[in-house]
Amino acid sequence: MKKLLAVLRFELDNYFKAKTFIVSTVILCLLSVGIMFIPRVIDTFKSDGNDNNVIEGEVTGDITDDTSSDNGDYTIYGICGDLDDINLDDLRQYFSWARFQVFDSVQDMKADIALGDEATCEAGFEVISPEEFTYYVYNKSMYDDVEYTFSNYLLMQGKLKYCVENGLDMEEFMSVETRQISANEEILGKDSASNYWYCYMLVIIIFMLIIMYGMQIASSVTNEKSNRSIEILVTSTSSTAILFGKVFAGVITSVFQAGTVGLSLLGSYQLNKDYWGGGLSMLLDIPAEVLITFAVFGIGGFLLYAFLYGALGALVSKIEDLNKTAGTAQMIIMLVYFMVLFNLTNVDGIVIKICSYLPISSYSAMFARVAMGTVETWEVVVSAVLLYASVIGMGFVGGKIFRDSTLRYGQPIKFSNALKSLKK
Amino acid sequence: MKLEVKSIKKSFDSKEILHGISFEVESGKALGLLGRNGAGKTTTIRIIMDVFHADSGEVLLDGATFKPDGRRFGYLPEERGLYPKRVVKEQLTYLGILRGLSRKEAAANTDKWLKRLGVEEYTNRKLDTLSKGNQQKVQLAATLVGEPQIVILDEPFSGLDPVNSQILKDVITELIQEGRIVIFSSHQMSYVEEFCEDIVIINQGEAVLKGHLDDIKAEFGKGRKKLSALNYKLDELGTLLEEKMTELVKVERISKHHVIFECVGDTSDWDILDALKRENVEIKSYGAYEPSLNDIFVTTVGEEAEKEDEAK
Repeated sequence: MKKLLAVLRFELDNYFKAKTFIVSTVILCLLSVGIMFIPRVIDTFKSDGNDNNVIEGEVTGDITDDTSSDNGDYTIYGICGDLDDINLDDLRQYFSWARFQVFDSVQDMKADIALGDEATCEAGFEVISPEEFTYYVYNKSMYDDVEYTFSNYLLMQGKLKYCVENGLDMEEFMSVETRQISANEEILGKDSASNYWYCYMLVIIIFMLIIMYGMQIASSVTNEKSNRSIEILVTSTSSTAILFGKVFAGVITSVFQAGTVGLSLLGSYQLNKDYWGGGLSMLLDIPAEVLITFAVFGIGGFLLYAFLYGALGALVSKIEDLNKTAGTAQMIIMLVYFMVLFNLTNVDGIVIKICSYLPISSYSAMFARVAMGTVETWEVVVSAVLLYASVIGMGFVGGKIFRDSTLRYGQPIKFSNALKSLKK
Repeated sequence: MKLEVKSIKKSFDSKEILHGISFEVESGKALGLLGRNGAGKTTTIRIIMDVFHADSGEVLLDGATFKPDGRRFGYLPEERGLYPKRVVKEQLTYLGILRGLSRKEAAANTDKWLKRLGVEEYTNRKLDTLSKGNQQKVQLAATLVGEPQIVILDEPFSGLDPVNSQILKDVITELIQEGRIVIFSSHQMSYVEEFCEDIVIINQGEAVLKGHLDDIKAEFGKGRKKLSALNYKLDELGTLLEEKMTELVKVERISKHHVIFECVGDTSDWDILDALKRENVEIKSYGAYEPSLNDIFVTTVGEEAEKEDEAK
């Protein structure tokens, strides 16, 4: 134990005194803080500027070509077809940023829109009837909601027409239609909608920590093999103490770095919560059981792969061979990552259930189930026992591979061959 | 204290590397472990240190199975290896702790050995800022920081200038005088002759020659004479002996200063001297030949290599 602690302390010194670690931690913390301040900065600049972007043009009740009042600050949309029920005053209430150009035919409108950057109109509407229209656009952006806005407009026109035809008071009609329902919600199980995003984020975090620090542990072993300091180490203490010390140091360092960055992020968010509209407050409200499950399974999964990476690092003599040897482990980690992410919307499905028991994937699958699905306590316990039993097994197998392979130089040793030689 | 290596065998990937190596060494003595590159020396050393497990055979200390721990031995590997970017004292203290010392003891021993080896001024420097020779001395300090009972030195003089070599010689002499076991592996035979009472020559995974160095030298010198002449060059003298004195001597080789030959049958010194007189050879020097370790090594390993070639 004393020697393991000595290795741990030395390795922690290696991490914490490394300029790359210090610089990367500081940069990540600054970035986290900076990102949280962005809405505040934007808001500050906005309030300093003029709010004169909305220019009210002259409007007439009838739909006509109103681009004559365009002073260049408006988006121009084309419109054609059955325009009898289209009222420009009402339309303006929905499209305050736009002016409309009337086309005689849909072909003319489409021809104009098809000119792309050279077009007069950014998009256009062919009104087929009060209940039907076609929206024409050259390149549709991800956030294009013009079609939806126009639909709302037609819907409102329809309601207005109905009121007129049936002698109803429009305001009374609207007050009935838009009356507020007071709804109270009490979730007795789990709120998947709000749990989804932090679950998604935690899956990414654990994935990144395993990949980043796993490779660092492997590189540390390979470097010692490459600079031959391993010759002294393995003759000074047990290979198990060396590997366990390295792995624990990697875990502690990663938890420290992720924790520091996370605290910077949350601290900075607290300062800017109002500017975010409380949109990230779910990060502060992650249930304790989810955090505990994340910690237990995250650390277990990390340890499992860290031991594997440590053993893989011992199989090669040169750092440039490491990626090739570690490729399979990385592939497994990637597969688990995508599998869990794709199944986050179906955490009670059979795939994620199976994965939540497999030690190679339970580190993220089980906590996703705990966060968003229905899972019994015994299932969590069984999965955790399987995971930690595998960690211990991998620790000792990794230690043996490390011991057997670490003083064999030259060509990379295949993982399968390393396992075979353990049987002898 | 007596360290015994008994019939150890080791295979890698179904290829037997060691075929039953045996030797022993006692405290206060140095053993020369010799062999060509790839002969099996390093594998033998790693088995002694329990880094590799022998497939069969055993390593005993005072008759009991040797369970090495870092405290018991110090190893100076041929391929030097420390942490280039770490401070000298930091890493030596670390290695001391790994060998079972307390932090305080490890720090004190680090200071002691750095001072003894004349590199105390570099205590707080990063290793890669030191010259090659000083790095070598730091490496030796790393070997000795645990105050080991058994010291294994693999090519310790490699990369050292004569002044530093002398410091190292003094240190090794002290280690032997203090009653530690020193296993010394080197291709520099003069150093081995200087320190080692016993040698083992390993070739192709077998101990082909072992024993007390003086006995081995006496055995190799038995019946062998060396001769040089004032009126003959060495190669001419060699030819003369081969052509005119075939019934008396068998020329073995011509060294830098002498013709080395073996006496045939019961040939006495007087028979040889008479024959030389008849051939008008003016003798410059004549006497019993005592082979150097280098001669013994070349002869032994060379003969073995020839046998292997013939077998192939």
